[in-house]
Amino acid sequence: MTFRERLQAWRYNLIPDHLVGEILTKRWTDNAIPFLVLVVTVASFGASIPGFFKPYSLQESTRQLGEFSVVVTGLTVVMLGGGIDLSVGSIFALATFAAVSTFFIFEMPVWVALVAALATGIVCGAINGYLVGFLRLRAFLTTLVTFIIGRAIFDILVVNYGADIQTSMASSDAWDFIGDGTVFGFSIPVITAIVIAVITHVALTRSRPGWHVLAVGGSRRSAHNAGIRVKRTVFLTYVFSGLCASIAGFLIATRLSGAGPGTGLNLEILALTAAVVGGNSLGGGRGSVVKGLMGAIIVLVMTNGLIRLGYGTGTNQMVLGIMLAVAVTIDIRWLKNRHKVLNEVYVAPVYLKMGETQSALPGSGTAYALDNRLSEADHIGLGELEGPEDVILDRNDHLYCGTRHGEIVRFFAPDYTRSEVFAHVGGFPLGLAFDRHENLISCVGAMGLYSISPDREVKKLSAETARSWTSVVDDARLRDPNDCDIAPDGRIYFTDSTKRYDAHDWALDSIENRATGRLLVYDPKDGSTKTLLDGYRYLNGVCMAHDGKSLFVAESWACRVHRYWLEGPKAGTAECVIKDMPGYPDNINRASGGHYWMAWLGMRTPSFDLSLRHPGMRKRMTRRLPQDEWLFPNINTGGVVKFNDKGEIVETLGDLSGNAHPMVTSMREHKGQLFIGGILNNRVGRYKIAGADESWTGPASYWGGAQ
Amino acid sequence: MILDPILDYFRGKAVTIPPLDGAFRPNTRLDDAHAFVALTEADNLAFRNGTLIASSGNAVYTLTAGTEPAVLESFPSPVTALAVSPAGELAVALETGKLFVGGKEVALPSAIRCITALAYGADGALVLANGSAKHAPSAWAADLMEKGASGSVWKREAAGGDFREIASGLAFPYGLHPVADGFVVSESWRHRLLRISGSGAPKTVIDKLPGYPARLSPAEDGGVWLSLFAPRNRLIEFVLQETHYRLDMMAEVPRDSWIAPSLSSGRSFLEPLQCGGIRTMGIHKPWSPSRSYGLVVKLDAGLQPLFGLHSRANGTRHGTTSAVEKDDTLYVASKGGDSVLAIDIATAEGR
Repeated sequence: MTFRERLQAWRYNLIPDHLVGEILTKRWTDNAIPFLVLVVTVASFGASIPGFFKPYSLQESTRQLGEFSVVVTGLTVVMLGGGIDLSVGSIFALATFAAVSTFFIFEMPVWVALVAALATGIVCGAINGYLVGFLRLRAFLTTLVTFIIGRAIFDILVVNYGADIQTSMASSDAWDFIGDGTVFGFSIPVITAIVIAVITHVALTRSRPGWHVLAVGGSRRSAHNAGIRVKRTVFLTYVFSGLCASIAGFLIATRLSGAGPGTGLNLEILALTAAVVGGNSLGGGRGSVVKGLMGAIIVLVMTNGLIRLGYGTGTNQMVLGIMLAVAVTIDIRWLKNRHKVLNEVYVAPVYLKMGETQSALPGSGTAYALDNRLSEADHIGLGELEGPEDVILDRNDHLYCGTRHGEIVRFFAPDYTRSEVFAHVGGFPLGLAFDRHENLISCVGAMGLYSISPDREVKKLSAETARSWTSVVDDARLRDPNDCDIAPDGRIYFTDSTKRYDAHDWALDSIENRATGRLLVYDPKDGSTKTLLDGYRYLNGVCMAHDGKSLFVAESWACRVHRYWLEGPKAGTAECVIKDMPGYPDNINRASGGHYWMAWLGMRTPSFDLSLRHPGMRKRMTRRLPQDEWLFPNINTGGVVKFNDKGEIVETLGDLSGNAHPMVTSMREHKGQLFIGGILNNRVGRYKIAGADESWTGPASYWGGAQ
Repeated sequence: MILDPILDYFRGKAVTIPPLDGAFRPNTRLDDAHAFVALTEADNLAFRNGTLIASSGNAVYTLTAGTEPAVLESFPSPVTALAVSPAGELAVALETGKLFVGGKEVALPSAIRCITALAYGADGALVLANGSAKHAPSAWAADLMEKGASGSVWKREAAGGDFREIASGLAFPYGLHPVADGFVVSESWRHRLLRISGSGAPKTVIDKLPGYPARLSPAEDGGVWLSLFAPRNRLIEFVLQETHYRLDMMAEVPRDSWIAPSLSSGRSFLEPLQCGGIRTMGIHKPWSPSRSYGLVVKLDAGLQPLFGLHSRANGTRHGTTSAVEKDDTLYVASKGGDSVLAIDIATAEGR
């Protein structure tokens, strides 16, 4: 091995590049940029303004922040629902006026002032909501209009009644407490903001109305089709926004005990900037209350900081404008390109030097030499079937196979020309096995382990195992359950081939070649699922040995077969019994005469084997070429290999013409015939095995009884 | 996006190839065509005294409809190019680098070892294309993967004398066509046609071809037939940029299994496979990426492409190295498909 190759092996096998892609799949990465901005903003203003973190200064800032956050929370909800509310500033001002006029002019109690403020907010919000939600007017223009009208009314009221408020003698301890007091060191606005934020957050993430808001924002039409009352949901978001603005208005009324022309001026710009800078998408559907709060802190610290550093209003507005522009740009670009970035970085190949293999070329004289025998197979269901990954026969000789449409199809003996959909499972049914009670057990790609009873009842057995400690993406979920077999005691042993790719992208796993395959066991007694082996390169076929004391498991991308011991001195350990095959093994099944059949889904090619030693080349290939152009193992040629209990190869069958069975993923022997399936094929093949025991069947081999 | 040039530095620029569109729009006319004769590795076609002749293996054959090819002349090593002089004399080049004109060996400068094409000018001057200074014609894939650009074009005047180099530094010249003031040369590895005139540097007449151009021959209406023997493939172009992988591949992988263009593909399971080429539900997609292809393009008198005849990824008439026209019939040699095809030109144009 050259030094360069050794270096490559270290670089690609020790540095976990795949984590970048896994982290990017997490929703919380959306928060990373706003959070970084928040930290930088607070740190830089904290450092440059003396006394920024002093208690008094902080107390005053946080009061203001509390009121502001409440407004931003309301606006966030509207934005999540796919709308926008420019009238929060005027609602805020009107609510302030309602509170102070009730308290100072009409000299009513504090709670009446609160009710008046809230009622103002709800009414204004309801007007917005009615116009936008029910009359389907444009949110931007509608709220701009209500903002102008609301502001105009407020200005008229302040001019006419401002003096009355100033001269009023009304006072109340409660009023002063809300405005000035603290509870355990927290001011009322801060407590209010926290309470509202928590309630809103819980409602959005864990309640039906909250989900409806997100659904409507994400896709109005889909939400409508799903039966969500879109108009009402939109209406309610504006009412909530109005309510929040009025709560903030009431709080500032108690703090300042008055209302002036400056009340709530430019608040809509500030709130909008805060919501967007926090990372809430303008398009709706994406965002959270936490993002809104982060944005609120950033904007407020920024504007207050700039004022205290001596910059004028112009500079302040300029900074806000720039922040808004940057945030909107990032929002749009990120939303648009996130999946592209993810696509580019997700495939993270590792280094592997494959062992020297024997030739499988016809005439090479090795036990692996492929021939053309499988091209003579009869076809079953040609053109009707799509993707029979595994095939199996029951005691009545009926043939079952999965299809890529998520169905289990049954072909009737003896001629297999008639068929019916035996059961619809969904996903992509892969490995099949019959248990003692003739339930059909299936590994369903992208779903889990399922059982289908003879009277067609579909039952989920397992879809998860224990999560490993170091996983970033939850690996408890079964991504690609592939093949299963059943031990004499009823336990179901099955494989989950990869943690990195979904079932339909299985071939991509060969490019990455990361060892994430698992062998699992499902115990029907307590319904538990345990991981037995982890860290193999695409664990695929499973087959119980004839004596039931061990099982064979195929490791596809490493071209190996392992024996996992269930009992005896080596119980719980695996040993490699066949290595360095020239083909990629798929399902393994029992054969008559104490032998085993193994399918080859594809053949190794020298160019692909070499690329495994050049992980950097594969990485660049995935980034610079579209997927259709990627170098794959040769999965256009497969075969069927027979081996004995010691792992010695008995014979190999192939279809070199590629016309009938280019790729073989499974085969079953039944009464002297071999039934052949392929995950990318459009038929099941039936091949007469020369000299096979014509009474041997799988069900009898496993569960005894009549041959 | 404006940031693309900066981002490209980190992510690498996408590898792209010219699309099969416009004049190169795919069809299946080569696969639909009638096989004139079956001939193993049929390569260079020409007309001699009104009869179609073709090189194949160590011999030159005469081809007539309905009969087996008859050996016209055989040689000690594979024939790599042939041409017929205006006087009807046969010029034949061999894999070993030797040249026979009228049955007599012609002394060549030592630099000529890889004769890929021969042509006579209207005045009787003989021109030959020397594909590579390093490799024999059969090792063309090695020349491509080494990014060879050591080809040259040589000319012997009608009056006789020695061959004189008229162009050098070419990336595998593979076809020659005489024009009024010189010759048009197809430069395979750079996917273009050049015009070499009596004086001055070669001028590009057409570039960004979607395949590797091979031989050129005159059409009866004054245009030119251009054969392309393999398609451009994004994976191959990518491998050409991957120095370490490419060198290791050349050192360790048998040449038939390289990620390189090919005259035919899909014959061995040791060949590389690309994702798009996976046979799904019994179908091999015709538009899938392929290492081999069949394409003959008609160029007008101004050497601009008019239309093409294709054998697509799922076809068999691949490795089209030569095409000649006579009496409104186009004869195409498919070296990868082991046959010579006859196509009625009126139907070929699709009119």
